[in-house]
Amino acid sequence: MKAYLSVFRMRLRMETQYRGAMLGGIVCQMFFGLILIALYRALYASKPQAMPLSGVVTYVWIQQAFFRMLAATDSDLADKIRTGNISYDLCRPVSMYGFYYSRAAAQKLTGSLMRAVPMLVFAALLPEGWCISLPASLPGFLLALCALLLGLLCVCALENIMVAFTMRTLDPRGMQGLLTLLMMTLSGNILPLTLFPDSWQKVITLFPYAQLLDAPIRLYTGEYPPSEAPRILLTQLVWILVLVGTGLAMWRSCRKRMILQGG
Amino acid sequence: MSYIEVRDLRKTFTVRKKREKGSLFRERETVEALKGISFSVEQGELLGYIGPNGAGKSTTVKILSGILTPDSGTVSVNGRVPWENRKEHVRHIGVVFGQRSQLWWDVPLLDSYSLLKDIYRLPEADYTSRLKELTEALELGGLLRTPLRLLSLGQRMRAELCGSLLHRPELLFLDEPTIGLDAVSKLALRDFLLWENREHGTTILLTTHDMEDIAALCPRVMVLGHGQKLFDGDLQDLLRRFDTTRTVTVRYEPDISALSLPESAAVSRSGSDWIISYAPDQLPTAQLISLLQDAGSIREMTLQPENIDHLIAAMYREMDL
Repeated sequence: MKAYLSVFRMRLRMETQYRGAMLGGIVCQMFFGLILIALYRALYASKPQAMPLSGVVTYVWIQQAFFRMLAATDSDLADKIRTGNISYDLCRPVSMYGFYYSRAAAQKLTGSLMRAVPMLVFAALLPEGWCISLPASLPGFLLALCALLLGLLCVCALENIMVAFTMRTLDPRGMQGLLTLLMMTLSGNILPLTLFPDSWQKVITLFPYAQLLDAPIRLYTGEYPPSEAPRILLTQLVWILVLVGTGLAMWRSCRKRMILQGG
Repeated sequence: MSYIEVRDLRKTFTVRKKREKGSLFRERETVEALKGISFSVEQGELLGYIGPNGAGKSTTVKILSGILTPDSGTVSVNGRVPWENRKEHVRHIGVVFGQRSQLWWDVPLLDSYSLLKDIYRLPEADYTSRLKELTEALELGGLLRTPLRLLSLGQRMRAELCGSLLHRPELLFLDEPTIGLDAVSKLALRDFLLWENREHGTTILLTTHDMEDIAALCPRVMVLGHGQKLFDGDLQDLLRRFDTTRTVTVRYEPDISALSLPESAAVSRSGSDWIISYAPDQLPTAQLISLLQDAGSIREMTLQPENIDHLIAAMYREMDL
């Protein structure tokens, strides 16, 4: 266990080295946030939706603030698979899956926290109608934090499944493109899931992608009352188990047929 | 039973060939990387493993280090089967792949090492003393706080070696460790490997194309070609079998326009040098020298034994590799 914690710590430290990338990311995500909110304001001005505007604005800010949690991928690992440096990791007395799971978790956690904190502060200072709202209740906020943590565990498991595809194809771009598109759409990053038709939402919110950020955000805004939290957290847990199980099985089968090319 | 026992090891790879025009399916071809290799190694041995590119060297190393599973054959390393109990096996081995890196690119060496400490679950005291020993032997002391990306190739290779030896492996695999290094770094690396072998009895298996490495480090060499073992024994014996020609370089002043020698000697020119290669058992050296002296006034003359690389090339040719 210590080994995995140590990888986690190491990756944290590494992430903090990329402060320039962090600044760039913040500016970019702020820009997207503002544009999206302007868009929804225009939409609401002509035709108000069931969800209040302040709810959508909050949804957008949290989505943008934690963008890195969804989007950060371990390009080192893809390189390692492509170049064969992965052979070193096979020569270590640890589970490879656990090793890279810890790495992804650290990367996504630091990457998003470093951006999220300044962005949310900024978003809170914006004028009425543009700013992020306070959480609906204290229990709701704390439950949202729990859900966010589970969402992180879920997205890392998804990431490792994507890596398993890379191990087969050696090039991450194809599957990554496809799965990222799925993730961005179904996690509510492109359009908040709350604005999807109700009948769609019933299905979409059960998908793993809705567990990443949509569930925590709805607990935050109070759309899911704290009384519904056990159901939400349980859904997340089930998905974590399923996705980690699938990922582990895929990695194991990849390891069996892995061939390291070249000298 | 020896420390490493390899019996009749076989491995084939399936290679997809590029589709030919007009054909609908891609053809598959199987390549036999290892066609039944057997050998054994005793604890504390320094074994050189040579052969042309594609001979199956790396495949053997990958199987021995538990990365690849062979098609058939048995391997036992100190009683362990590498690919069956990978985690237990790799705890006792160290690997250095000369063209790959195990350390983290962006963080100081010390951080990479302390991660390795946790991965191998080394006790703190053990780790500290081993790190001190290795940094002294490898002269890494001043570099521990430097990120890997700022190190030169020679420094990096020393850092890699240190990383591979922190957990005191009983067996060390080195895959072309001196590739791309300058003369000073090479010599330092060789000294270090000899020291590590002597001090700790570490068994070292070295694959390389640098024959100087082999000559300096390995009393025993194994030659591999086309997936088969072609030679296993003393390096000097190997050289003696192929070391049949000598080369003389002569410069005349004033230069001469033609040099006629018996047919058994091959004459070529490079600038104003005459290069003659001959076999002493066909043309005695004394006789050659007197012939050369008769041809003009010699300004310089050097006689060198056949270059070790040429020997190996001749050997590969003779063995049809």
